[in-house]
Amino acid sequence: MSQIIRRCLPLIAAMALFAPPRASAQPAPAVNTCLTCHATQTDARLATPATLFSGTDVHRERGFACADCHGGDAAAGDKARAHDAAKGFKGAPKGQAQIATCARCHSDADLMRRFAPKQRVDQAAEYATSVHGKQLAAGHGNVATCASCHGPHGIRLVRDAKSPVFPTNVAATCAVCHADPRHMAGYKLPDGTPLPTTQLADYKKSVHYAALTKGNDLSAPTCNDCHGNHGATPPGVGAVANVCGTCHAVFATKFQTSVHAQIFDKGCVECHSNHAVLKPSDAMLGSTGHAVCATCHSGADDKGAKAADAMHGQFEQLEAGITRAGGLIGRVKNAGIEVSDQELALREAVTKLTLARTEMHAFDPALVAPIIADGATIVAGVDAAGQKGVDELRFRRRGLAISLGAILLFVVALGLKLRQIERRSHP
Amino acid sequence: MVKGVVDWLDERLDLSEIRHFIAEKGVPIHTQEVWYYLGGMTMFLFAVQVFTGILLLLYYRPSSAEAYESVQFIVTQVKFGWLIRNIHSWSANLLIALAFAHFFSVFFLKSYRKPRELTWLTGILLLFLMMGFGFSGYLLPWNELSFFATKVGTGIAGAVPLIGPFTLRLLRGGDDVTGATLSRFYGLHVAILPAITTALVAAHLLLVQRQGMSVPPGIERAQKAGARGPLSQMKFFPNYILRDVLAWYVVLAVVAALAAFYPWELGTKADPFAVVPPGIRPEWYFLAMFHTLKLVPSHVLGIEGEHLGVVGFGLVALFLVLVPFLDRRASRGERSPVFTIIAALGLVYLVVFTIIGHYAK
Repeated sequence: MSQIIRRCLPLIAAMALFAPPRASAQPAPAVNTCLTCHATQTDARLATPATLFSGTDVHRERGFACADCHGGDAAAGDKARAHDAAKGFKGAPKGQAQIATCARCHSDADLMRRFAPKQRVDQAAEYATSVHGKQLAAGHGNVATCASCHGPHGIRLVRDAKSPVFPTNVAATCAVCHADPRHMAGYKLPDGTPLPTTQLADYKKSVHYAALTKGNDLSAPTCNDCHGNHGATPPGVGAVANVCGTCHAVFATKFQTSVHAQIFDKGCVECHSNHAVLKPSDAMLGSTGHAVCATCHSGADDKGAKAADAMHGQFEQLEAGITRAGGLIGRVKNAGIEVSDQELALREAVTKLTLARTEMHAFDPALVAPIIADGATIVAGVDAAGQKGVDELRFRRRGLAISLGAILLFVVALGLKLRQIERRSHP
Repeated sequence: MVKGVVDWLDERLDLSEIRHFIAEKGVPIHTQEVWYYLGGMTMFLFAVQVFTGILLLLYYRPSSAEAYESVQFIVTQVKFGWLIRNIHSWSANLLIALAFAHFFSVFFLKSYRKPRELTWLTGILLLFLMMGFGFSGYLLPWNELSFFATKVGTGIAGAVPLIGPFTLRLLRGGDDVTGATLSRFYGLHVAILPAITTALVAAHLLLVQRQGMSVPPGIERAQKAGARGPLSQMKFFPNYILRDVLAWYVVLAVVAALAAFYPWELGTKADPFAVVPPGIRPEWYFLAMFHTLKLVPSHVLGIEGEHLGVVGFGLVALFLVLVPFLDRRASRGERSPVFTIIAALGLVYLVVFTIIGHYAK
C-alpha cells in the first residue's frame, strides 16, 4: 500500500500544482462567449470542441461550462480577456494537467455525491498505478490519459451505447493506440520483446468477442475486464488464473489443484491463449492432432499423454451416447410418444459431460471417470426408454393396421348385406 | 335370443307402436340424400366423445397443480391411455368439422323451412355447444398454448358491452386465468354442457324422427309442379340405419388412423408467469373470428373496435338462430336466393379467414 502511495506522490503533486479553484456546478453564465466564439471558428481544431460540447455532453447537461475545465472568463466579449491567465485560463490541459483537471471533481467524494452518488472517486489514484499512469509519470507524454478513452468533449455516460467506453466499444477505443504500430513503437513487454499490436485482431477471433457482439452479452469480457480500466495493466504471470477465475471460478479452482498450476508460467493462457480465446473443444485434449496437450506430451510412455487420451476418449464416448440417445428419443417424440422424462434425463447427462469437462482442469483421469460413468448410466437409461418407445410405435402401427383391416372387413360385409337386402326388396 | 328379449319387453310395454314406426318409416331417395348422413356421423362422434371422455375422467385431475401431470400420466403410463386421449382430441375436431358441414348442408338445402324451425333451432344451439365443448376442453391439459389461448379467448368474452366484465370474471373465476378457471372449465366440460347437450340431442333426434327427412326445395317444387313423380323411399330400418353405421365405421377408421399417426401434442406445462409464447392462437374453429377481431380497427366511429366485433358476432349468432323465421320465401316453398347467397358468403368467409388466421403472424 505504502508503495502505491509512494508511486502516486508525483501525481498528487501534479494535481496540487495544476489544481484550479474548487469546481462546482455553478449555473452556466447566461452568455457563454467560449461557445459563441469557438462555434464560428473556421479552424476545425477550435470549432469542434464547441460543437461537441453543445451536443450530448454529460458535463454540460449537469451545468458545467467550458471555463470549469479550461479556466478563463466566459463572460468576456474578447479573446484577450476570455483567455486571461490571471483569470485561471490554462488552455487544453494535457498529460498530468489533464488528470488533475478531471480529478478535481472526480476525486472529490463530496462533489460527486451530488451528481453520481454511486460513482467511484479513485480513478486518478488507480490511474497512477496503471502502466499508463506510470509511463506518464516517467515522462512519456504519448500514453493514454482520461480524454484518450472518454473523449475531451461530447463526453457520454459509460452506459450510453455511443460512449467510446461502452462495453462493445472498449476494444476499438483501446485499439486506437494499441493496434497502431507507430504509436506503440518503443514500448516493450517485461521480457524485452516489442509490445504487439495484434490484440484487437486476436480478440475479434475470440469466444468473448462473439459473446459480446453477436450474443449481445454485455457482461462478456472486453479489454478492461481483464486488464482493468483506470488501473490498466497486463495481468502478471501469477495473476492470469485469478483474472480468468473472476468469471470461470470453478475452472480456476480445479486448475489450482492440478500439477499444471505449478508448471504453467502463463496459467490458463498456456492452453487457451489470451486475446484469441477460441471456443474450447474436446479436440484440445489428447496427445495427437491439434491437441494442445501434444505440445508437451507425446509418446506411448508419457503419463500425461495417456491421461489426456483417456479423458478425451471418455468425453467422446459420452457425447456420442448423448447424440445417439437424443436422436432416438427425438424420433420417438416426433411419432407422438411422450418423452419429457427422457429429455430431462438427457439434459442431466449433458450436465454430467459439462461437469466432467470442468473436472478435467484438475488433469486427473480418476476424478473424471466417475462423472463420465454417471452420465453413461443416464444415457443407457434413455437408450432403453427410447428403444421401448420404438417398440411401442411398432405395436401401435400394427394395432392400427389390424383395426383398420377389421373395420374394412366389416364395411365390406355391411355393404354386401345392404346390397342383398335391397335386391330382396327390389327383385 | 334377441326375439325372446323383444317378446318379453313387448308383453310388458306393448312395443307395437315402435314396431309400426320402424316398419313404416322411410327415407326419401334423391340426388342430395348423401347430406343426410352428416347428422348421424356427427352424433356418432359425440358418442365417441362421451365414451372416451368418461375413460379420461378416471385419471384426469382438474387442478392447476395436477392437470398437466395427470394427462402426461394418461398418455405415458395408462394402458392405451394415449389412444383414448388422441381419439378424444381428434374426434372433437372432426365432430366440429362435421357439425359445420351438417349446418351448411341444412342451410343450403333450406331444410330449416316450415315445419322444421325447431329442428334448426336445436341444431344451431348444439353447434354453439360443440364450440363451447371445444373451448372449455382446450384448457383442461393445462399446457402453455391452451393457457394463453384461454386468456385471449376469455379476454374477448370480456369485451362484450355491459356484461363483458361480469362474463370474464364468471368464466375465469377471478381477474386472471388460474386454477379457478380450470375448475370452472372442467365443470362446464363434463357436467353442464353434457347435460344441456343430451337434452338438445334428444329433442333434435325426436324432431327429426317425428317430421322425417326434409326433401330439398327444388325437388319439392318440381313435384308440386308435376315435373316429377313421387320420390321413391328407402326403408329406415334396416337400409338407412345400415348405411349410417357404414358411415360411422369410416369415420372411426379415420379417427383411429389420425390418433395413431398424428398424436395430439401435450406441449409444455402452463406457467402463468412465463412470457407469452409466439404464435398463440385459438383452435382452428375460432380462427376466423379471432382473425376478424384482429382486423377490426381499434376504434370505429368512437366505439371500441373489439366491442363492435364481439357485438357483430353476437348479431350473426342471433341471425343464425332466427334464419327459419326470417326466410319467409323458403317457408312458403318459394326460391330464396338471398339466403343461399348468405350461406355461400358465410362459407367462403369461414374458409378464407380460417386459412388466413392460420398463416397470420
